[in-house]
Amino acid sequence: MRQILRQRELTADAWRYPDESGEGPQALPFAALVAAGDSLPAGSGVVIGPTDDVRLLAPCLARLALIVVHFEKNGDGRGFSQAQVLRQQLGYQGELRASGAIKRDHIFLLARCGFDAFDLDPGEDALAALAQLGRFSVAYQRSSGKLVQPRMRG
Amino acid sequence: MYRYDDIDRTFLAERVAEFREQTRRFLAGELSEDEFRPLRLRNGLYIQTHAPMLRVAIPYGLLSSRQLRMLAHIARRYDRGYGHFSTRQNIQYNWPKLAEVPDILAELASVEMHAIQTSGNCIRNVTSDHLAGVSADELEDPRPWCEIIRQWSTLHPEFYYLPRKFKIAVTGAPTDRAASEVHDIGLHIVRDASGAAGFEVLVGGGLGRMPMIGKRVRAFLPQLELLAYLEAILRVYNRHGRRDNIHRARIKVLVKSLGVEEFTRQVESEYAASRATAPRLEAAEVERMRAFFAPPAYRSLPDVPPPAGSGAGASAGASAGAGAAYLAWYRHNTRAHKVRGYRVVFISLKKHGEAPGDMTDAQMDALAGLADRHSFGQIRVTHDQNLVLADVSQDELPTLHAALVPLGLATPNIGTLTDMICCPGLDFCSLANAGSIDIAKQIHERFDDFDYLYDLGEIQVKMSGCMNACGHHHVGHIGILGVDKHGEEWYQITLGGSASGQVALGEVIGPSVAKARVAATLARILEVYVERRESGEETFLQAVRRLGVEPFKERVYASDTAAA
Repeated sequence: MRQILRQRELTADAWRYPDESGEGPQALPFAALVAAGDSLPAGSGVVIGPTDDVRLLAPCLARLALIVVHFEKNGDGRGFSQAQVLRQQLGYQGELRASGAIKRDHIFLLARCGFDAFDLDPGEDALAALAQLGRFSVAYQRSSGKLVQPRMRG
Repeated sequence: MYRYDDIDRTFLAERVAEFREQTRRFLAGELSEDEFRPLRLRNGLYIQTHAPMLRVAIPYGLLSSRQLRMLAHIARRYDRGYGHFSTRQNIQYNWPKLAEVPDILAELASVEMHAIQTSGNCIRNVTSDHLAGVSADELEDPRPWCEIIRQWSTLHPEFYYLPRKFKIAVTGAPTDRAASEVHDIGLHIVRDASGAAGFEVLVGGGLGRMPMIGKRVRAFLPQLELLAYLEAILRVYNRHGRRDNIHRARIKVLVKSLGVEEFTRQVESEYAASRATAPRLEAAEVERMRAFFAPPAYRSLPDVPPPAGSGAGASAGASAGAGAAYLAWYRHNTRAHKVRGYRVVFISLKKHGEAPGDMTDAQMDALAGLADRHSFGQIRVTHDQNLVLADVSQDELPTLHAALVPLGLATPNIGTLTDMICCPGLDFCSLANAGSIDIAKQIHERFDDFDYLYDLGEIQVKMSGCMNACGHHHVGHIGILGVDKHGEEWYQITLGGSASGQVALGEVIGPSVAKARVAATLARILEVYVERRESGEETFLQAVRRLGVEPFKERVYASDTAAA
């Protein structure tokens, strides 16, 4: 079973991604989720890619327990904006997970954008990544992240 | 100027520690070059032709004498005794050792400086008017807004991995001295009918392979809405800017492909959607920032009459000896100041024999001392690679001039042909197709007669060693672009570009010219100007605009000696 960092804990992941078989609840691909509309059961999960418009999730956010934002490659910043919109504008409260090309050097800013779970790049050291959540104790911008809350001026 | 508080100091110490650890991991083989690259770039570190190149941020071009002494120390201790001031009002070191860069950053932090976001696909150093606060035509000092933007953009969690680099310039005067219309965002402080101050917002300007002038997306943005609106622009860009092609990834391409109306609609829509959660500036915070840039303690002084012969029509040869040298310097390297009894002094870094923008450690140390004695301990960097002592009392000008001469910092050529913008070019840069510094030298050698330079009047020559356009060649009155032809260095000439006022991109006059012929080609172009100008008043740029490029082109390609 996959290990992920969730809320500062290294834990086993109960979820299956859309292309995975086996036990446990299965997250839907973005298109399937949007198509399901009102028939979507509570506690659902979804995996979104960098071009998916997160505002289309607005009607079903209350029935989502997991949103996985997949980062296809290092340096693609679109997922940071997706997270900010989900947390700040749409008020999403469930688990927001970054997956894909996620390294320890991205963790702090991801957390500040509202991610609270990380499915790290294979080969990345989870404990070293966890330590990066304490990388900065101060920041210049307000943030939607609850996992890290750096001190700000004023 | 802005002074760090506990938040700033803590942040910078933590940032240096982060990069020290990242560098250690890279040197230990724990990070691949591909993984390390975006990390080092966001700390100002490139890998260049000979060695790493470290670009240190000089926010909006403002330095204290203490900071300039630190730049001198770094040049001496970690480099080869000099630094290169760039068109981003930054300084670049060409010979640091990778393993020592964390130490350099720690030394910079001790004087409230850093190299954060001076490269990489993120929001870069914000630039501004080098005459901010001292120019009579200014509506409002743009620097408090620059510092607000600097802090907001520093490690902005959402906008740290943009499709491409992102440059913002702010001006507070109707005369644009910051090339703001060729920035990703240009902000102009303006007033509405009621007299309230706000920003005119331009988006999508830029040079490089696809030069474009910024388009106006907002005629008037209330000042306190600045960050909310910037976030809306950046969010639209971060979401929709192209990431599949590095040459199509700047925001100018997005603005062009959507059209400015649709782009504006998307920004306004995002701005409306994010109003409730976007950062809002408090008036008290703006006032706190303004206090950092309050005018220095000017004395109540009378105006000193300008030196005899410095008026219009006087020539540099009007009097002899040191008097003539002072006169030429006064006329060309000093400008009016808004406060009576003071004058703005330009320090030319365009001396014959030196690479444009280069300065030695000894010159930096000496200038820091002169800034302490004559200009309230502050120095500014201009986007055309000179320095400024902005607040010199007129009665101290002769003393200052006498001190600058032996330092090689009094070349009286500001605004003339030899006051060229020049990128590092093939000698240092791994992107360049052709040399720039050699061409600067060639131009200096050919045009060494100051009386001729003064007769030509204001001419901006801007030179880039490749189409990335670090030397802003598109907006030079004369632009020179290095190109590679079968492994040889050739140069394409453009005429009629301008970075301020009526902003324009230069027009290519024809086939590129061989390296040895660049200065000779300029000489032919200038011959046409001297012959055809309508009076002593018509500037080179005005003449090119009136005549078009045709007469210049005819002369340049009149025989095959000049052309390819």
